[in-house]
Amino acid sequence: MSRSDVLVDADWVAAHSGDPDVVLVEVDEDTTAYDKGHIAGAVKIDWKKDLQDPVRRDFIDKPSLEALLGGRGIGNDDTIVLYGGNNNWFAAYAYWFFKLYGHENLKLLDGGRKKWELESRELVTEVPQREAKTYTANEPDTAIRALRDEVLGAIGERNLVDVRSPDEYVGRLLAPAHLPQEQAQRAGHIPTARNIPWAKAANEDGTYKSDDELRELYAEAGLDEGRDTIAYCRIGERSAHTWFALHEILDRPNVKNYDGSWTEWGSLVGVPVATGDEA
Amino acid sequence: MTVADGCGAPEGGVKLEDTALGSQAVVAGTVRTPDGPAYPAYVRLLNDSGDFVAEVPTASDGGFRFYAAPGEWTVRVLAPGREAVQQTVSTDVGKVARVALQV
Repeated sequence: MSRSDVLVDADWVAAHSGDPDVVLVEVDEDTTAYDKGHIAGAVKIDWKKDLQDPVRRDFIDKPSLEALLGGRGIGNDDTIVLYGGNNNWFAAYAYWFFKLYGHENLKLLDGGRKKWELESRELVTEVPQREAKTYTANEPDTAIRALRDEVLGAIGERNLVDVRSPDEYVGRLLAPAHLPQEQAQRAGHIPTARNIPWAKAANEDGTYKSDDELRELYAEAGLDEGRDTIAYCRIGERSAHTWFALHEILDRPNVKNYDGSWTEWGSLVGVPVATGDEA
Repeated sequence: MTVADGCGAPEGGVKLEDTALGSQAVVAGTVRTPDGPAYPAYVRLLNDSGDFVAEVPTASDGGFRFYAAPGEWTVRVLAPGREAVQQTVSTDVGKVARVALQV
């Protein structure tokens, strides 16, 4: 993968607006934004209601994903173009999640909903009607997902990247500042994790920085290219944004998203926690 | 529970009554253009080192809200066709620091 394979812009979306094999998908945690207006032809996916298991803390299983995508009129050969609010956090998560279940043709609209809105581009309220299809997913690909025990074993052995804000990393905040501060039991970070906030990979308009800027960012932050990498945040959506930069744009191998992230780690009994600026 | 100083609806229309403010340090406010509420617009919260901390879209009335921590913050606004503007603000636990910005 490289940037041109995985990122598209508004011109690309316009050029493919009539293509039945290209499906725009808006993914948000708060889907009221979609209801007020979305890019023409885009279908809606609710990060929580559609992608998360309603009972256990985990994402939905293979049959549920097959029913979701098939029901939205998305087939295995379609190109899914994801975008959303929050600088594409949840869109990047959905990209990671669909890739995990084996979808091949995936793209992210660079800058997401914010860039589209800041450029005063058209949004519509009409919901597209797509005929249901049969979707067949693969078993989840664990090469891009880290679970807690693997993270515990990675302390001091692999690159751990904490992509939350510096204030969350040092333990001053427990959640992003637009959410109430009431998440994990403890504040801080995983020992040896370097703090490379996701926002440093993005421009103010929500687009990803250039390949050279991204390489410089991760090199200056001390990421060892010879080691495998695990990224985490609070619930795994901002770290999906950084996973996308490392794995999809820069084509680094062996990069995993720890989607349990701080809401899991900061509540686990018996695991080490670091606070302050020190990794 | 502590709510914003004063009575009646806050200027931004952002309701804080649904949240126990006790341990929260809030930065909230409104963004306007010369023609009315700034919507859509994006409000970014930067810490005292200028590092990005969070971002929210404005509500339809131009209102926004952050749960910060005690200290100095910068609020920066991006709106379609407008120059970005920013303003510093300080807040504390149990306090709602209000900011009114115009783009």
